[in-house]
Amino acid sequence: MTVALASLPLLCGCAPVPSSAPEIGGGVVEPPRPADVVELPAAPGSATAPPDSCGDPLASLRPTGQQPAPGRMPAGSTMERIQQRGKLIAGVDQNTYLMGFRNPLSGQLEGFDVDMVREVAAAVLGDRDAVQFKVLTSDERIPALERGEVDIVVRTMTVNCERRQRVDFSAVYYLAGQKVLVPTSSDADGIEDLGGRRVCATKGSSSLTNVAAAPSRPIAVGVPNWTDCLVMLQQGQVDAISTDDTILAGFAAQDPYTKVVGPRFTTEPYGMAVPRHHEDFVRFVNGVLERLRADGTWAAIHRRWLGDPPAPPAPPEPVYRD
Amino acid sequence: MLVEGQRNRRVLRRVTGLARSTPGRLSLVALLLISASLLAGALTALSVQRRSDALAALADRSEPLAFAAQEVHRAMADADATAASAFLSGGVESPRLRGRYEADVAKAAAALSAATSESTRSPELSPVLSTLSGQLPVYTGLVETARAHNRQGNPVGAAYLREASHLMRSRLLPAAQELYRAETGNVARDLRGAGALPWSELALGAVLLTALALAQRYLTRKTNRLLNVGLLVATAMAVVSLLWVLAASLLVVARVDSSARDAALVDVLARARIATLSARGDETLTLVARGSGAQYEQRYGEADAQLRELLAQARGMTDAPAVAAAVRHQQRWQEVHARVRAADDGGDVAQAVALALGQDPAGAATAFDALDAGLVEALAGARQGLTDSIARARGALTGAVPVVVLLALGAAAASTAGLWQRLKEYR
Repeated sequence: MTVALASLPLLCGCAPVPSSAPEIGGGVVEPPRPADVVELPAAPGSATAPPDSCGDPLASLRPTGQQPAPGRMPAGSTMERIQQRGKLIAGVDQNTYLMGFRNPLSGQLEGFDVDMVREVAAAVLGDRDAVQFKVLTSDERIPALERGEVDIVVRTMTVNCERRQRVDFSAVYYLAGQKVLVPTSSDADGIEDLGGRRVCATKGSSSLTNVAAAPSRPIAVGVPNWTDCLVMLQQGQVDAISTDDTILAGFAAQDPYTKVVGPRFTTEPYGMAVPRHHEDFVRFVNGVLERLRADGTWAAIHRRWLGDPPAPPAPPEPVYRD
Repeated sequence: MLVEGQRNRRVLRRVTGLARSTPGRLSLVALLLISASLLAGALTALSVQRRSDALAALADRSEPLAFAAQEVHRAMADADATAASAFLSGGVESPRLRGRYEADVAKAAAALSAATSESTRSPELSPVLSTLSGQLPVYTGLVETARAHNRQGNPVGAAYLREASHLMRSRLLPAAQELYRAETGNVARDLRGAGALPWSELALGAVLLTALALAQRYLTRKTNRLLNVGLLVATAMAVVSLLWVLAASLLVVARVDSSARDAALVDVLARARIATLSARGDETLTLVARGSGAQYEQRYGEADAQLRELLAQARGMTDAPAVAAAVRHQQRWQEVHARVRAADDGGDVAQAVALALGQDPAGAATAFDALDAGLVEALAGARQGLTDSIARARGALTGAVPVVVLLALGAAAASTAGLWQRLKEYR
């Protein structure tokens, strides 16, 4: 009897009782991503530029003959308001190496666009440092101008008809063109080789619109800041970055394992943007640009930031509508 | 067949005859009393043991795990705030900030391993824990990449730091918060288990005492003797056992009540500390964003409001001087923050950064450090109170189980002896 009972567990070998310990996870690796990344659905035709309805978008307002001296702005003008405030409030970038970036060593904002802002500040106030910088992402530029939070935006901003309807532009101060940056190992030679591959640009930039509209139909990936694109390229989350050659040059300078390929497939004329209905300030800024072109300051700034060995190109010729 | 039936009937008659006879009835009473005392003893011991197990789980697992979870959350939030400060200070970060960041990462990893060791106990937490342990190295990798780029003067370093911060805020901190919530839930559950009123013990004791009283009355009636010494001893033992258990249990209930108050204070202070760290991170990130940090400033406002509310709650729960000091430092920090914002909004970034990060005694960094230190002190005090009251509650139950078992055996033996005396008279 006892033996029979004792051998019961051996005989029945009943239902096995498995361990309840959970599996070791970590099988699915989800790479980190920059904040607020969006992937534009490939919508053919939707991203084409709106028809030109503003004549020549590049035509700005002619400067008035004699520029007022710094610190002596005419009464009632936009510049006088800035002069009374003592500071020019300028929207710039801190993430575009060589154009407008934060120098990590000093914490200061530097670059081609930042120097341009300083020239305007010097012309109004007589002090290159009398600037309050406000860092803007690409898609914050026009809203900030419309709300009057900034006097001027100098931030690799392409002049086009769509934007002209919401803000005013100075004469063109730089002529860039869109190209493609890929890792050195890539076999792509231009935007036409990137069909179906992921191409990064910032949200609200004309570059992103151009990528989405490219005939080879790449997948456009939008990020808040330009450097987020470089992070995604280095982490293998995008195959290429496509934007103006000035910005791409800054990426190539930060990462020797990338190369800029292909011809310029668009022309991107940069203008300084000013809120609407400040014609006096637009004319004044165009006067400053005339002087920078004439006295070699433009060339000196170009040499300082974008100056690869060849001599600086001729500054873009202004076009005025009156 | 017939013979068999007759035999069956005879057995039945003998059994019923025995039950009808007085010695038979006495034996039955003895049997009933033995089983009643043993059963009541076993069930009481079981429920005392259950209470003691809940206290042990509280002291050895849930409370330390809740603390570990809180450390994970705190260290990660601090690492994020510190990394942002180090970036903002420009150039190569100071050894002080670097040291703080490294200490945070080490603490987060150690606390995480403490929290993970119990993952088999709570399988529902395993996705959260694997997010935490899987993404922490990714986070530190991103921060180091940012650092390497910063040292070379590449602005892309800032983008890596943003990505790291986004990873921290979108995945690591929510997971840490979930872990903390689950573990504090376990603390509350174990506190409830240990602090239940001893109704079942009381009922069992009452049933046993009633049985003993009824047996005594039966004997008095049958034998005309007023008292039976054996039953008297058994009754005394049952009373002692019941009183012991009731006293110990009620002591535990009172201590657990104070533990629950301490646990609530620990929770409030821990959340205040985490709100402090988030507010600091947002204050710094507002400055990093250079004029476009409205969203961070808004989050700072939310964290600061939460912090004030939690500090007010803590003030209502304790009069510890550390909490009062924390309230003062929080007010001072708020004032400095207003000046930081005024300087930044007025375009004086250098002044704003100096106010926010500098070691000036009137700056935000010193106010934040003092507030954090005050909260650490208050938290340590509250946690000490919690572990002390748990330890005292466990002490109250010391020896209760063996006492209950021995007294139950004694009561069974005494009632048997008492009835045996009467039974002997029928021989």
